[in-house]
Amino acid sequence: MRESSAEPLRGPMPAATGIGLRAQHHLEVVSQTPQVAWFEAHSENYFADGGSHVECLSRIRANYPLSLHGVGLSLGSTDELDPVHLARLRRAVMRFEPALLSEHLSWSSVGGRFVNDLLPLPYTEEALRHVSTRVAQVQEALGRQILLENVSSYLQFTHSTLTEWEFLAGVAAESGCGILLDVNNIYVAAQNHGFACDDFLQGIPQGVVQEFHLAGHSRIELGGREILIDTHSSPVCDEVWTLYRAAVRRFGDVPTLIEWDTDIPALDVLRAEAAKADSIRTAVHALAA
Amino acid sequence: MPSLRELQTQVLNGLLAEEPDGAAALIRSSGIAAEPRLRIYQNNARTNFVEALRSTYPVIWRLVGADYFRQTAWAFQQRHPSRSGDLNHAGGAFPDYLRALHSYGDFRYLADVATLEWLIQESLLAPDHAPLDLPALAQVDTAAYDDLRFILHPTLRLFQSEFPALRIWEANVGAAEPPALDLGSGGERLGVMRHEGAPRLHRMDCGEYAFLQSLTDGRSFTRAVDCARAADPTFDATLALQRFVAANAIVHFALPDTRL
Repeated sequence: MRESSAEPLRGPMPAATGIGLRAQHHLEVVSQTPQVAWFEAHSENYFADGGSHVECLSRIRANYPLSLHGVGLSLGSTDELDPVHLARLRRAVMRFEPALLSEHLSWSSVGGRFVNDLLPLPYTEEALRHVSTRVAQVQEALGRQILLENVSSYLQFTHSTLTEWEFLAGVAAESGCGILLDVNNIYVAAQNHGFACDDFLQGIPQGVVQEFHLAGHSRIELGGREILIDTHSSPVCDEVWTLYRAAVRRFGDVPTLIEWDTDIPALDVLRAEAAKADSIRTAVHALAA
Repeated sequence: MPSLRELQTQVLNGLLAEEPDGAAALIRSSGIAAEPRLRIYQNNARTNFVEALRSTYPVIWRLVGADYFRQTAWAFQQRHPSRSGDLNHAGGAFPDYLRALHSYGDFRYLADVATLEWLIQESLLAPDHAPLDLPALAQVDTAAYDDLRFILHPTLRLFQSEFPALRIWEANVGAAEPPALDLGSGGERLGVMRHEGAPRLHRMDCGEYAFLQSLTDGRSFTRAVDCARAADPTFDATLALQRFVAANAIVHFALPDTRL
């Protein structure tokens, strides 16, 4: 159990492994304050004007460092940024004072219609310029840097001229954003599209990665071929742990998050996954020392 | 080569259509054809939407069953796709959609139950408010009561149904097998409020309902009492005021020269 403090904990996110906060665990986290390094919450789940979720996150924030992770801003869309969404995000940032703030390198809307999924972009110079401008707009509106996360994907556009890692690194360089490197998403995309995970890691400059994500995925068969789906419904697999080791070696000791969104298990299962990530981080750095 | 906007429009049109293959020519096949690749995203988009609607409309889900709910929700998504990256707002038009779908027949009541569920959702997301400052109200000269306006709690929603909407909701919101209900057993006037994070639902008589509706419409206390008495000549203003202050439904007051 942690000491309770009346004021939110401020300062940088600890280089330790946190857990994705889901409503099923709200009560346990509030009432028992389990030993967890930090929590990451989906920004949109706490956009309400009031109510139990907002109150709950305020109480959790008083005891833990927090990251806010958006799933609905549709950064890659060619629509104007949604001013209502951006205002609610700004309010959430002011309310909860997250140490980290992140969004996805994806789009989900056009013409004012949303499909509420993380759709991949074509990796072109046009899209690179567009997304960089949008990220810069968001950072200006919020008055702070955001992290951009690579997504899992199940398709590629024929006219892409850049690799995903060139695109991601390019947006970070042009907009000044940081990178949230989702290690599972690299693995899923690499398996689905046939590139080497190490090419992705080597293509991202050191120093720009400020957070890792780890999660489980599923496999389905499609037209006689296997395809990996980013379901966040199972433990992190051995191959992703191996890739995580390589990522920690390359990018250093940055905050790591365990995500689990479907068939959500008991908090202790997530804490065990977090402990495993922490032991890997510690071992990698002991070797490097 | 399509522009980014053209690509996004084609892909999104496909995802919201029956078959998502309109953008297939833009996608690399490499072992798996474009259509099944797009269908993964379509399934994700549909599932996310249906689950959001299900969490807002759990009683409708139970009343119509999973299969019919999914089919109706997908058809609704095609006509009324989410207009926000925040799915909490995606289901606002669902009650009217059901109303149009079942404008007559045995399932007319569904739209009213859905309306009640949407008002619960609105109430759960509305701002908080401190209780009424009673000592401040006690300072108001009773002569000024004619122009006094009461402000209702931001989580309060009012709804009048020709069906026993709340009885249907109560019978289906728990795990127990719902009892048989007579849909023709009379309408209900309802108030929804949030209490300690959960919805609290109240039945009201016609005088109380008219009173709160008048206050919601911005009428003065005196005018609201007039409206309530027009609906119910036995309406007791003092009793109603006590009840609604105690229930935290009335949270603020304003005189004509007072800023809200």
